[in-house]
Amino acid sequence: MNAPLVEARGLSKAYPKVHRNSDRLRALGRLLFRAGTGDRVSVLHDINLDVARGESLGLIGENGAGKSTLLKLITGVLTPSSGSVRVNGTIGALLELGAGFHPEYSGRDNIVMAAALYGLQGSELRELLPEIVAFADIGDYIDEPVKHYSSGMVVRLGFAVIASLKPDLLVTDEVLAVGDESFQKKCVRWIEDYLGGGGTLILVSHSMYHIQKLCRHACWLRGGRIEQYGDVFDTTQAYLAYHERKSVAVPDRAEIARAGHEFSVLGVELNGVDAEHPLPLEFGQTLRIGMRVRSREGRSPCLAVGIVRADGTPVYGVGSDMDGFTPQRVGTNEYHGAIEFTNLTLLPGSYAIRVHPLDPEGVRLFDTVERAIIVRGASREFGLVRLAHRWIGDARSEIDDA
Amino acid sequence: MSAAALTLRFFQRELRNRFSGSFSGGLWALFQPLIQLAVYAFVFVHVFKTRIPGADAPGYVPFLVTALWPWTAFSEAIVRSATSIQDNAALIGKVALPREILVVASVASSFAVHLTGFIAILIVLILAGKSIVVAGLVPAILLYIPLFALTLGLALLLSAVQVFVRDLVQALGQLMTLLMFAGPIFYDRTQFPENLRGWFDLNPFTFYAESFRALLLHYGTFDWTRFALALAIALIALLIGHRVFRRLDSHFEDFL
Repeated sequence: MNAPLVEARGLSKAYPKVHRNSDRLRALGRLLFRAGTGDRVSVLHDINLDVARGESLGLIGENGAGKSTLLKLITGVLTPSSGSVRVNGTIGALLELGAGFHPEYSGRDNIVMAAALYGLQGSELRELLPEIVAFADIGDYIDEPVKHYSSGMVVRLGFAVIASLKPDLLVTDEVLAVGDESFQKKCVRWIEDYLGGGGTLILVSHSMYHIQKLCRHACWLRGGRIEQYGDVFDTTQAYLAYHERKSVAVPDRAEIARAGHEFSVLGVELNGVDAEHPLPLEFGQTLRIGMRVRSREGRSPCLAVGIVRADGTPVYGVGSDMDGFTPQRVGTNEYHGAIEFTNLTLLPGSYAIRVHPLDPEGVRLFDTVERAIIVRGASREFGLVRLAHRWIGDARSEIDDA
Repeated sequence: MSAAALTLRFFQRELRNRFSGSFSGGLWALFQPLIQLAVYAFVFVHVFKTRIPGADAPGYVPFLVTALWPWTAFSEAIVRSATSIQDNAALIGKVALPREILVVASVASSFAVHLTGFIAILIVLILAGKSIVVAGLVPAILLYIPLFALTLGLALLLSAVQVFVRDLVQALGQLMTLLMFAGPIFYDRTQFPENLRGWFDLNPFTFYAESFRALLLHYGTFDWTRFALALAIALIALLIGHRVFRRLDSHFEDFL
């Protein structure tokens, strides 16, 4: 029992390149006579992964990162090119849509077949069938051919079969996204019960909400390798930050003709650190931004500080003129100022701090320097910041009051 | 669940697949060969006036039936099962299962349908007073066993290769027609020019066609040496087919 449920060692998968028909023939010859491997496209490289019993692991990554291939290797549908994967238990898998349903047969027939494929037959199946049909909850469609189903119905049916089988390991590939709101809730509730009862889950999803809700750990695949593995909040935040950075064109520092500008930023320190890499912060920590600005004419600048989410959504911005603050002169043409955000209530995620010098009138903006911060922590709240709040009328305090 | 039980499920599914959508359902399996029989009887006996030479030769209809129905089982099983892996690509991509099952189920369903048809026709011929050797019925049915082994061996080989070479099944259709006319099915070996008769032995089905006639019509003799040889060929085909299938099996997903 102490052995992990899933053990992947040096797992790699490469697909043969088959552009032309003659490639297929050549591949056949090679396989029959065991001569070399030919041209291959590598999809997964050297994956080492242990999934313990009772674990819930989210697999995240861009399209084509190898998530589905990894799942298929784990379920045994694919054979690894090298390395090995062992699963010490029964697997229930919902790979993409359909779970191998046959379009010509009715939902009921497909349930019987799918259950048979998972090793269920005869009396066991007869007992479970009403339960499966009830869980799928697709009404009279159950006796219609599956080809007339909507994609949501197919997923309902597939999930209903898996749910009734209660496998040791549940593997699902982006299936929650297809069902409607109420079915999603039903699935999430079922998965939570299943995990509560000691089940093991590997979930592929592009919905960080589902991943964070259902998984304790997450594994970020990028280009067929594990980019990051660990706590679900850390990993999903790093992944989202990566996407946010990707979708924003990096502002080009070179385009700011420094010399010609009246004001330019010489340096920005976040909590005393002047570095390009993102500064990690804990939720609720204090953030102190120090700024040094050069003023060509020797006039005292206004300083503006903005906080934006990594994709550019503004969170907060403030200028020194608004608060009646004047930067200190530290050299002939150099000014210094600092701003402190005590008890920062930014929700966990990735943000950018932008610093701009403005003319003394606070009208013209001259330069922009951006620094990244990552707020760490586990929170399921939505949005950008935590607003001060309290709940009123709690059942327990009501009793206390009475 | 055991592989056998799973095979049975796929077998049942194959059968239902054939008859689903037809009103008569399973009855069609019996009607179709009878209609076919009526057509052959009319065309060959009344239009072409085909006769088998020889004093005690059987009528042409029993002569044809005893070889043509086993042949149909054989050739249809080969052609249909060649695509059995390819046709189940969706399933293979989603569920881990022993893939041989799909081929076995496909071959078995062809045999089940045509063996049923064969028995039905023989019964009709016996009732019609044709000279069928009733005692030969059971041995004839047993003869389907080595034929099944041979077919399954070829089917495993072909279905695996079909995954890689998609034009195989087209070529196979042509090849089976050629093989049908290059075997003693519509005519007897003795009706062929003497210098060409020996070539018939290269056709794996020749033994079966002639043996079915020997058992059911007492036309020719059942040769135990040739039976042993046919049995050996069937087992070798099964062995090779299975080995090739196993070797290619783990790569199906990459090429489907």
